[in-house]
Amino acid sequence: MSIKKEDILEKLNPADSFTLAMDEEIRKDGLAGNYGCFALVLSNIPDIEALQQRITEFSQRFPVAQASLQQIGKRFYWSKRLDPPPLFFQHHCPKGHNEADFQQRTIDRIINHKQARETAAPIEFHLLTGPTQHTFFIRWMHPFGDARGADLILKYLCTADEVQRRQFGLPETGSLVNVRLGKYRWWQKIGLLLKGKRYIDQLDRLESIQPFNSDLTPQRMNYTIQRLSEAQTEQVIKQARQHVGLTGTSLYYIGCLMRALEKMHPDNTGEAYCAPYAFNLRKQRALAPMTGNHVCALFAQAPRDVVQDRQKLFAHLKQQNAQVIRQQMDYAFLPLMWAGSWLSLTEYGKILRQSHGSGKERSSFWFSDVGRLDIPADSFPGAEIKAVFYACQVTTPPALAFLSCIYRNQLTLSYNFNEPVSSPEQIDKLHQLMLAELLGEAE
Amino acid sequence: MKKKLRDFIFQELVFIADPAQFSDDDDLLEAGLDSMGIMRLIMFIENEYGVTLPDTEIEPDNVQSFNALERWILRHQNG
Repeated sequence: MSIKKEDILEKLNPADSFTLAMDEEIRKDGLAGNYGCFALVLSNIPDIEALQQRITEFSQRFPVAQASLQQIGKRFYWSKRLDPPPLFFQHHCPKGHNEADFQQRTIDRIINHKQARETAAPIEFHLLTGPTQHTFFIRWMHPFGDARGADLILKYLCTADEVQRRQFGLPETGSLVNVRLGKYRWWQKIGLLLKGKRYIDQLDRLESIQPFNSDLTPQRMNYTIQRLSEAQTEQVIKQARQHVGLTGTSLYYIGCLMRALEKMHPDNTGEAYCAPYAFNLRKQRALAPMTGNHVCALFAQAPRDVVQDRQKLFAHLKQQNAQVIRQQMDYAFLPLMWAGSWLSLTEYGKILRQSHGSGKERSSFWFSDVGRLDIPADSFPGAEIKAVFYACQVTTPPALAFLSCIYRNQLTLSYNFNEPVSSPEQIDKLHQLMLAELLGEAE
Repeated sequence: MKKKLRDFIFQELVFIADPAQFSDDDDLLEAGLDSMGIMRLIMFIENEYGVTLPDTEIEPDNVQSFNALERWILRHQNG
């Protein structure tokens, strides 16, 4: 399909292209694609009219929400459509049906819905209602935005005052990845690129341990949500402070998951656990940018013998993280992402996933910690937000993505896995081990 | 010193609609300074002021306001 220049709304930035390469990889596995999901558990049926009105207003202010992803030459663009797709869908549990089952099946269907990326909507809003259970579910295609962006979109929908809603998306900064890249002269970019490449080569010296050793073909993505009590959450935060200090809550979760996986499958081959994670370039509490990915990648890697010693592991992860930031390695991946965006999706996906030496998968699991969400519980139109959770698709291997957030003082863990490579039973076992690690009850 | 710290935090780490209204005693952690931000801030301070801030002292009391940060840095500059 050829598109006209005037129909182009936006070019994908290097971080968007990174997520698009992963979309291609997930689709190659036969799954839906690189979708992220954000769910709100509501107290009652919300004010549907207000919600619909704000979604419509949002799509008018940010037209990329209804765009089509198109390729011109090697690059990808968001382009206008003749028939913009609907963004808001309602699903009501039929009388006499099991509500919990209805909710689970509907979310499962939305997450696993397969559609060509050119025709799929960049973002969709689903309201699931029934006599007692109500969920507002956002599903977005990853090149459209990141988790912090989804949080901002939700805040937009939760802002009753129209004047305040106009502040969202301001100041218009464009892509923060490009802004950051623009701060470097060309020779500095090359220096960073080499630094990033050397760092990845160093990571690749150790073969990554995979959580699930299986040759099975993934059939569908599934997820398990585990919500800790306020007291448990407080204990986890205390443990994190004690082991990694004020600067490393995410590292504490990563370390605990490495240890839980090691305890679950001590015989899995490989030399180290390696987890990619992203840090967001947006300022905390900023109201812009709303769309697009504004992240840069980091890695946490720990050799097996270090993982087996809890004290040693957290000291190692903390030191590794400090070293990465001290050497500006965190920004070193930006020129790599820029260079990668010129490759074909297949070539880029291969580079992103495969270890240079062994050609095996570099990631032991995907990880994202959204942190503490500050959306007031009473701000959703016509309903109280009781709880939230995230979900996402992931490649196979590693077939496991772990997401975390804290809302209303409760730590929520989301285990996303591909069946039959893994199963809900295996994930339950993993969670029991993870919980003991998080609470500091495992040695 | 506080001006440089304010510029760095408000330009790089935390969005405040009106930074002028944010006092030197206001709570930076409440304002959104997170763990990654604290790490970056410490690297900035170490580069800018030539001090080494011990890991063991990275605690809320030392990073929660501009005044607390300044006291922390000065303690190490003078020591």
